[in-house]
Amino acid sequence: MADTKSDLVVETFKLTKIYRNRLIALNDVTLRLEPGCVLGLLGANGAGKTTLLRLIIGLHRSTAGWAKVFGKTMTANSADLRRRIGYIPTNPQFPRGMTPISYLDYMARLFGLPADVRKPRLASLIRAVDLLGASGHAIDGFSNGMTARLAVATSLINEPDLLIWDEPTHGLDPEARRSMLDLIKTLAREKTLIVSSHNLSDIDEVCNHAAVLSHGQLIYCGSLQDLKGRMRRNHFEMDLEGEQKGVAKATAAIRALADFKLVNLRQRRLELYLHEETVNTAALAAALNILTENKVALVSLRSVGQQTEQAFLDLVEKEESRGFARIYTADAA
Amino acid sequence: MEATAEKKPVPVNRWLPYWAVFQYDVHQTLRSWVYRVWVLAVLLATVGFLLYRFGLTQEAGVVQQASKLFSYLLQGTVLGSIAFVVVLTGSCISSERGTLADSVLSRGISRYQYFLGKWHARLATVLGAYLSLSVAALIGSLVLVHADVTLDGSLVALATVGGLLAAVVTAGVAVSAMSNSSLLSVASLWAVLYGGGFAASWFLRNSDASPGHVLERLPNILCGYYDLQSLATLMAWSAALALTVAIVGMVFFSRRDV
Repeated sequence: MADTKSDLVVETFKLTKIYRNRLIALNDVTLRLEPGCVLGLLGANGAGKTTLLRLIIGLHRSTAGWAKVFGKTMTANSADLRRRIGYIPTNPQFPRGMTPISYLDYMARLFGLPADVRKPRLASLIRAVDLLGASGHAIDGFSNGMTARLAVATSLINEPDLLIWDEPTHGLDPEARRSMLDLIKTLAREKTLIVSSHNLSDIDEVCNHAAVLSHGQLIYCGSLQDLKGRMRRNHFEMDLEGEQKGVAKATAAIRALADFKLVNLRQRRLELYLHEETVNTAALAAALNILTENKVALVSLRSVGQQTEQAFLDLVEKEESRGFARIYTADAA
Repeated sequence: MEATAEKKPVPVNRWLPYWAVFQYDVHQTLRSWVYRVWVLAVLLATVGFLLYRFGLTQEAGVVQQASKLFSYLLQGTVLGSIAFVVVLTGSCISSERGTLADSVLSRGISRYQYFLGKWHARLATVLGAYLSLSVAALIGSLVLVHADVTLDGSLVALATVGGLLAAVVTAGVAVSAMSNSSLLSVASLWAVLYGGGFAASWFLRNSDASPGHVLERLPNILCGYYDLQSLATLMAWSAALALTVAIVGMVFFSRRDV
């Protein structure tokens, strides 16, 4: 945690957004983001992710509470604060009839960058995002991948300290998605990032912190490791190789062990559910010994539970099951 | 967390965002078909009217006075242009709803600067076109028919009508900033203009400073016979109204979600 409040890059306090007294988009969100954090913002559709990002950047006005960026309250007129932020919206839309060069020049001028700074910078960025061949073409005809690359260049034109990227991998092919994730990893070395995504494996790969929103409420905010640590650790999967007879015999032997609550064999995949109090290393060692005795080889072993996706689903499910107790915070309850 | 290296601060021009919006909007307006159709329609109507009156002078020997001819043209230009000006200004911010937040307001620009950039750009394009066309029409009138206008009268007449037009433009931009859709803002602007015109004609019915009286007296003004005080009053009211509407629009815009 940061020593003082001024160290925080983003801080929100009881942030609430109600649209026209009809829709509660965000409810009492308090979070603190330190420099160097890569925060993954998780939540289902309509959970309030984009609303939260738009409130942080000053595009929306909060109904209650406040959002501070770099220690100052963000408002619609906080141009100075936004000069230090690089933003990518979901499905970015661009003005018609512009080329990447004219668009980036316009964006750089909106950040107040003088010509001798913005011209070389935009040329470098166009080269970096591989749009050199299309630099004279109208943006209107760009593919999703090209649009995403232009959005990345735009968000970096002002060399921001904080990057807010709303679903940056949305609609990208695997190659473009990989490039985007690699870029986030590179940028994470020197910048603070907030990345919203539906793809939990993306968050798992690039983020070190996570915030989970459910129906507008922040149900978790902390390190990704802690989030994973919250979910059950008693579900493992083994992919096996060997004679079917040996596999079946080994499975029966493992079922007989007291540490295992449930053992399922599906083709060559063995699902192992351990009792809550069981020390998993000892139980798995015993299972591996049995496999060795039956001449069954291990292709892969993974903890099913220890995926961010599972942790997220568990967290949301747990929150839902609290019913009216949701009036109180999870810790208080 | 690793400590980041001290970066050399980049000098920032705080008014560059305003200029960027201003220049971009002027460029976009000049390229829009509404603007081009408006300018072309006014130009063709002016040329046609001048040639018709010139023909009357030449063929029928009817003496045409430049003051009357130009006042007809000025009134026709203003009244005929209102529909175009309403569309041009009433949609200037609301039509950019899709890209406004994503591309512009999420960058280093304040809402005030954006509003001012848009407002001034529309004022420049609309008044620029009006003045260019009016000066061309005035010169045409002077060349083709009996020249009875004075320089100061012409300047006062152009400034007076320009002031009224500026108030309409300002109202258009302000309504556009407060609305979510172009259709709604254009409809609202019509209501505001009709309502405002009705209120002005009612409350100022006995005053020389009413817009209707001023437009009727344009031939006299062009000849140099005008009451500067009443015209100054009208201009001051137009400016005060425009400023008030602009401030209301700007404050509203700075508080709404985009």
